Amino acid sequence: MSRLVLEQTLAGNTPLFSPFFLLGDPTPEISFQILSACLRAGAPMLELGFAYSDPVADGPALQRAAIRTRAGGTTVDGAFRLLSRLRSVSDAPFNLLVYGNLLHARGAKRFCRDAADAGASSLLVPDCPLEENERLAETASAAGLAFCDLVGPATSAERLRRIGTRVTGFIYRTGRQGVTGRGGSADALADVAATVSATPHPVCVGFGIETHEQLEAVWGAGARIAVIGSALARRIAAVEHCLTDPASVNTLIEGMASRVRAAVDASQRAKGD
Amino acid sequence: MKESVFQPILGAFGEFGGRYASELLHRPLAELARARKEILPTPDFQAELQAELRRWAGRPTPLTYCSRFSRDIQLEVYLKREDLLHGGAHKTNNAVGQALLARRLGKQRLIAETGAGQHGVACAMAGARYGFDTTIYMGAVDVERQRPNVRLMELCGAKVRAVTEGAATLKEAINAALRAWTEEATVAHYLLGSVCGPDPFPSLVADLQSVIGREARHQMLEAAGDLPDALVACVGGGSNAAGLFRGFAGDPVRRIGVEAAGEGLHTRRHGATLARGRPGLLHGARTYVLQDEDGQTRDAYSLAAGLDYPGVGPEHAHWHETHGAQYVVADDEEALAAFEHLSRREGIVPAFESAHALAFCRRAVREGSLPRGARVLVNLSGSGRKDLPTYFARYADRGDHL
Repeated sequence: MSRLVLEQTLAGNTPLFSPFFLLGDPTPEISFQILSACLRAGAPMLELGFAYSDPVADGPALQRAAIRTRAGGTTVDGAFRLLSRLRSVSDAPFNLLVYGNLLHARGAKRFCRDAADAGASSLLVPDCPLEENERLAETASAAGLAFCDLVGPATSAERLRRIGTRVTGFIYRTGRQGVTGRGGSADALADVAATVSATPHPVCVGFGIETHEQLEAVWGAGARIAVIGSALARRIAAVEHCLTDPASVNTLIEGMASRVRAAVDASQRAKGD
Repeated sequence: MKESVFQPILGAFGEFGGRYASELLHRPLAELARARKEILPTPDFQAELQAELRRWAGRPTPLTYCSRFSRDIQLEVYLKREDLLHGGAHKTNNAVGQALLARRLGKQRLIAETGAGQHGVACAMAGARYGFDTTIYMGAVDVERQRPNVRLMELCGAKVRAVTEGAATLKEAINAALRAWTEEATVAHYLLGSVCGPDPFPSLVADLQSVIGREARHQMLEAAGDLPDALVACVGGGSNAAGLFRGFAGDPVRRIGVEAAGEGLHTRRHGATLARGRPGLLHGARTYVLQDEDGQTRDAYSLAAGLDYPGVGPEHAHWHETHGAQYVVADDEEALAAFEHLSRREGIVPAFESAHALAFCRRAVREGSLPRGARVLVNLSGSGRKDLPTYFARYADRGDHL
């Protein structure tokens, strides 16, 4: 079961780098190539989003990515097909980020079952907070998915503790108070250590992470996983008008792989520190 | 739907409502929910609010009996004149109330979304009066079709940000405002304009708009000696309807909400969320949503910018399912005919939004929805002045529809 590979991956104490992509960005086929290249480049796990029409937690880069992905033909069924295909070439944990209405429309139970069948390890729903997510957490767990939840720089220790009682995967701590893809503030990243020390769960940090200095700050603060998303989506955006040109697509994929390789190398150096 | 995993807990109206918003909005939403319970009902706050509504906003608004329009359509029609409220629409009730609450909470900035621009105007005016730095998010399409309101907001010192993503109308403006609020929640209040969004907004906005129904009930008893047979109001997000209906809680009165059928329910160009949507999540609430099979929100459309919203207040979704109110539709053409009809017979130019409520009334006896001579209280939620450029540009040459 894919949830176990997440548990095994998190069982150690090595810093981990995870790229974030929308499944199907920019098209199902190119997305598969990008994601497989990232895995071959050493990404120990993937954060994978489902494109949604109203991604209120996301900044401009991922909003544009969602529009591009849907225009590229990826439906929810298509995203699950892509996930299955990835699972057939990799044993890495795949962590899903999905806005609530996509689960609601399919039926949350069916969505979670389909996700687990397609090889997902965990589920995070950014617009379904503590007060509203008890049944969702149960549903995800019953389907065999680890349940993850979001916290921010302003989340109190007491609230973090209550959120933690429902989490069976990791805590996703945002690198900033705001949407994805704008520079994380040094203060918010420094406070990651407080989140790490206040929860027994592994901590993943994303939102506003782009540079190696930020990655190192995140790992240095004790977070297990650092995520880069918007910065990678911007690379796709830069070539989105020449996707029929194989040379451009190859350059994109190679560039993505070397970016991921560099971040993975940084995580291994961070381990040595 | 009883088996849905999404059973709202906070601010639930039966199966609808809830607080489906990011954890990053937990603090400001919890703070606002506390303020609604602990500050809003206090005599001190209510005295301040009532004084401002009276002296600055022009409450109470009149109730107008329309004898010529009534005769034409075989109903007894009374209008609650929210078009005469300062700012030209009912939106000012909510803007004043929330701005005063925000001041109590020590906020320095107001963020708001607007569709037709009426809520934006109300926020810009309240922001000016109470000393806030105000930013209004507005879909770029709406900026184009509601130019006079944009100028008015800017005149009152607000910054208007045109939102270009998606259909560039109200839905996208709310997304942009929610994102901005996430960034600035400690210093900014999000002054949401309708009975939508995450808890506590649907309850808070209905509280603040219920002054419409309370006043109208009193005025109706005074003018007609009896309650109306039916209440009629247009429904986009549904704040003017909720405000009217709430004033008659427990009364044996029919409640009728009129959604926008746009170019027709057989097309995708409409805003009839209760008629054609299904339950889902949008902007923080479980409610009816116009959406595709996957759960992607569809774009709504109406000639009336204030009605082209693909969601609806969760309390309306609850009333719809429990028959606490009845929801019907009127299309662009019917609304336009009602707009002209009221203007010519009564000298009152209704907003395109409010014209949808009148459009239903015009056909109600003919189609058997209301008995001949029924006493009907219509919420004339806004003035049609904002719609004149659109009307003159597109419709003035199409002939007489009476």
